[in-house]
Amino acid sequence: MTSHFFWNGGPVAFRSGETIAAALLRAGITDLGRPSATPGGRVFCGIGACQGCVIAVAGAAPVEACLTPAREGLRLGPLPAIGAEHA
Amino acid sequence: MREAPILVVGAGPAGASAAATIAEAGLPVLLIEQRDQLGGAIHRQPAAGNEEHVWRPARHRRNWAALTARLQASAERIEIRTETIFLGVDSEGRFLFDDRHEACVFARRPRAAIIAVGAIETIRPFPGWELPGVMTAGGAQVLLKETGRPPEGPILLAGGGPLLPALAAQLAKAGNPPVAVLERGRPWNAPAALARLALSWAPMSEAAAYAAALAASRVPYRCGAVVTQAEPDGDGLKVSIRVGETQEPLLVRHLLIHDGIAPNRTGIPLPDPDGAVPILLAGDGREALGADAAILDGRRAAMQVLARLGHAERGAPSDERGLQRARDFQATLARALQAEPIVPPPETLICRCEGRSHADLAALAPDASAREIRLMGRFGLGACQGRFCGPMIAALRGQPLPTASPPRWPLRPVSVAALARLTIDETE
Ligand SMILES: Cc1cc2nc3c(=O)[nH]c(=O)nc-3n(C[C@H](O)[C@H](O)[C@H](O)COP(=O)(O)OP(=O)(O)OC[C@H]3O[C@@H](n4cnc5c(N)ncnc54)[C@H](O)[C@@H]3O)c2cc1C
Ligand code: FES
Repeated sequence: MTSHFFWNGGPVAFRSGETIAAALLRAGITDLGRPSATPGGRVFCGIGACQGCVIAVAGAAPVEACLTPAREGLRLGPLPAIGAEHA
Repeated sequence: MREAPILVVGAGPAGASAAATIAEAGLPVLLIEQRDQLGGAIHRQPAAGNEEHVWRPARHRRNWAALTARLQASAERIEIRTETIFLGVDSEGRFLFDDRHEACVFARRPRAAIIAVGAIETIRPFPGWELPGVMTAGGAQVLLKETGRPPEGPILLAGGGPLLPALAAQLAKAGNPPVAVLERGRPWNAPAALARLALSWAPMSEAAAYAAALAASRVPYRCGAVVTQAEPDGDGLKVSIRVGETQEPLLVRHLLIHDGIAPNRTGIPLPDPDGAVPILLAGDGREALGADAAILDGRRAAMQVLARLGHAERGAPSDERGLQRARDFQATLARALQAEPIVPPPETLICRCEGRSHADLAALAPDASAREIRLMGRFGLGACQGRFCGPMIAALRGQPLPTASPPRWPLRPVSVAALARLTIDETE
């Protein structure tokens, strides 16, 4: 059975036990872009150190995509512009 | 009243070895790991249902099986908290943790603490290293171990060190050999160091297996080759490569970079083996000596804590000898692969979090203090707290950048909502 979470409103499939980072990369999503002057988010170190993969979670605190197991129905998006679409 | 535990932070080989050793001596352990599974950087476990196990030497598999068996045998004395991040020590000496699963912060007062949070990869910056599609080789490797599947499209590996050919071989075995491995060093120019390396049997037979896998997949391993720039190009990256005097472009989907590893010390409490609550570092987070040494070092730290608490003698001399062997090996390897530093062009980003460039760094006075580099240069203030730009700045300025001391928590951003649910467990 495949499960899904949502990135910017679009469904992303994941296998049980996978991190959010693994599922996003498999779906070809490398740019976790954020609307500011600094470069967009991305998975870089894979071990929770660089904080480049921190993403917004609707209704909860932001998380590192590389540390966090994917869960069914999560609504995710770039920092910090979530809110509007996901409130 | 419950007996206060010995805290072990990080469940890689060092933390697992430390936790098992203490529990086997009859003391309670609180083992904290930020991931949902134990294993650390080298033994990252495949996600449930992933049958495509990534190829790796049998020795490492056996070592991890032995450690998990020991943890299991002492399970009743080890409280394991996964998906829990160690945040630091507050001004009252409480150790604080962010339980991501329960979305709450909790505090404990352990009798002693062993911090085994592993290493961080070092990066030598070039214009474009900050782009999406550029990852560290180790980061790509842990994802490969997790999913069993390599990233799709052409992959280039570049930088320096033994992780590059190891990952290249694993990618090849998993079905997507990289287009090339670029090693900035020229090991053939250091024959004495190479000859010494040849005497280390376990890592050398590992290297030979990787080399054979690269040859079988026809992956070129080019020495003295560096990436000078990466630019976005459609869905991928246009990478400029310099080999000797020649410059060539290469189109790839993923650029995986790596220039060695260094202990992860940012925000980590300073070691204090003789304090009222002894604090010890262990494994690659103390000294980057690799996976085999991490097991010895975890046991060494555990023996030191047990001795302090009156439960055992000091560590075994064989552990010290093993650590010294690993130290010699790493030093010889560094000599074999050593390469001249390259001064990156002014526009190169150094601090990715705050968008600060090499030109911004160069504009600071040559004798600027760490505080000036932080406050005037705005380096090392971003979300990663200087874990990546700190070593780059140290390399470019030719001297280490002192970190804030004593370290201030949290060493990782924590949500206000989780902090509001702080629970304090006063077990002492
Ligand atoms: C990305 C990466 C990949 C590597 N791959 C290999 C490899 O394939 N082969 C090899 O020989 N060596 C590899 N190394 C080197 C590796 O560091 C050592 O070989 C070995 O894993 C060191 O063991 P350790 O227990 O000291 O650290 P680690 O294995 O890194 O374990 C540290 C543990 O601490 C946890 N942690 C970190 N910070 C916190 C925190 N604040 N709160 C809670 N938990 C935390 C981490 O999640 C991790 O599980 C790699 C290093 C890195 C950085
Ligand atoms: S990729 Fe670096 S923190 Fe997640």
